[in-house]
Amino acid sequence: MLKPRMGSLLLSLLLSGILAPEWSTSALATQSTGGPKVDVTLPQKSGSVRFMVVGDTGTGGSAQRKLAETMVAAYGKFPFEFVLMVGDNLYGSERPKDYQEKFEEPYKPLLDAGVKFYAALGNHDEPQQRHYERFNMKGERYYSFKIKDVKFFALDSTYMSPEQLKWIEEELKGSNEDWKICFFHHPIYSSGGRHGSDVELRKVLEPLFVQYGVDAVFAGHEHFYERLKPQKQIYYFTSGAGGKLRKGDLTRGSPLTAAGFDQGQSFMLIEITGDEMHFQTLTTSGATVDKGTAVRREKLRSQQNLATEAAPPSKGPADSTSRSDKTKSSNGSTAGSE
Amino acid sequence: MPFFLGVCLAFPSFAEKQPAQKPSPAVQDFLKRVERYADLRNSLEKKLQEPGDKAEPEEIRAHQLALAELIRGARSEAKEGDVLCPEAVKELKQVLKSEFQGAGGKTAKATVKESAPAPFECKVNQAYPANAPVSTVPPDVLLKLPQLPEDIEYRFVGSNLILRDVRANIVVDCAREITSLS
Repeated sequence: MLKPRMGSLLLSLLLSGILAPEWSTSALATQSTGGPKVDVTLPQKSGSVRFMVVGDTGTGGSAQRKLAETMVAAYGKFPFEFVLMVGDNLYGSERPKDYQEKFEEPYKPLLDAGVKFYAALGNHDEPQQRHYERFNMKGERYYSFKIKDVKFFALDSTYMSPEQLKWIEEELKGSNEDWKICFFHHPIYSSGGRHGSDVELRKVLEPLFVQYGVDAVFAGHEHFYERLKPQKQIYYFTSGAGGKLRKGDLTRGSPLTAAGFDQGQSFMLIEITGDEMHFQTLTTSGATVDKGTAVRREKLRSQQNLATEAAPPSKGPADSTSRSDKTKSSNGSTAGSE
Repeated sequence: MPFFLGVCLAFPSFAEKQPAQKPSPAVQDFLKRVERYADLRNSLEKKLQEPGDKAEPEEIRAHQLALAELIRGARSEAKEGDVLCPEAVKELKQVLKSEFQGAGGKTAKATVKESAPAPFECKVNQAYPANAPVSTVPPDVLLKLPQLPEDIEYRFVGSNLILRDVRANIVVDCAREITSLS
């Protein structure tokens, strides 16, 4: 039994909101009693675009399921509208029971809550996944969709055909939304020891991203988390440890890495509000391994133009990494352990 | 449509850089063969209910298996080289050789090698194995190879190049030892 003084202290903390009861945030939070404790630090502003990013999920194994429990707990604190799946959605066979075991069962609480999943194809995925209702691919291997002022472009990076390149160029050119976000499987910048950057893909995609103002790119394939230093003012994230894990594969000391985590499964929570994209990366235990804020490219440019007008001419072009690393972050220890 | 013209129309910046070229008779022959296959596949598919974009896994699976069976039935006599005919393979071999040469070609070759699945025995009409990932085919290489009809794609399996029908998930044809990835 609580002593009277301790009881009144607890009551005053509850009333002041310092000890907010978990069950007050959402119905899903009540289902996750005994699950991982998740502390979401995103601003949760009214009218913001909220989503989750995860890749390389489809094993159906215990690691995927445990991480899914953490996602559900995170949803309780931060009700995101949708999920970007960055490929390898189903490993191995793709029978109906595989869809159940590798996707529907682990994410059932999220699906039941109305969270939409938007999938991109990975090198382990059959293109026929495009017909699956819950992957929202509109029957296409590459597609786009819009949520408020954010346009998303899903690409099939396993087969970047001339038709697909033409499509993405036209889509990007015709997009007037504030934010342009691409997601696909193979990272064009990566510090992975096993795979690394897909330079061939970068040759054809990066010029389009730069020319048409892509703000951020999410990829998977590498079974870890990495936030890259912005390249040509574009933010790149790899979130490919949603089921699989390649422990220790992130190259220590890589000049590309801004932050990373390769010691356990992880997923990202994202919130876009105005000119800012806030991100937080969580592990199975609910620990935060990276968080920060990225600023929209157009906003960055106008800030830089203002600065250029006010400042004397510079000596010459800086390298792409140092010029544009405007990410405010914390907890971004490179390849740290949980 | 001749493949080079197709490439140029689909990718204007490429068209601007390259002089228009008529594909060789061997490549034209290959394109006719692969078009014939696509026509057959498409006509057989009309007998089945299309999965659409809001399908359940059962419908997707049933459609794929049924289509594969129809194709196997209609192509029971098909053999290696029927689509990837030897004369065209010679030219594709040259395209790949040129794409995988030099400093630029090194990364393309490394990309293919790194992404290639563990080799498996390729046979016409067999299902592409469920546990095998697909190799990356670099965009520059796709730009140079003859353009294929919708949902038929090039994939590398070891040093072999296969044509894969993604709707039926079957191997349409296989060209052996077309490139060396070592």
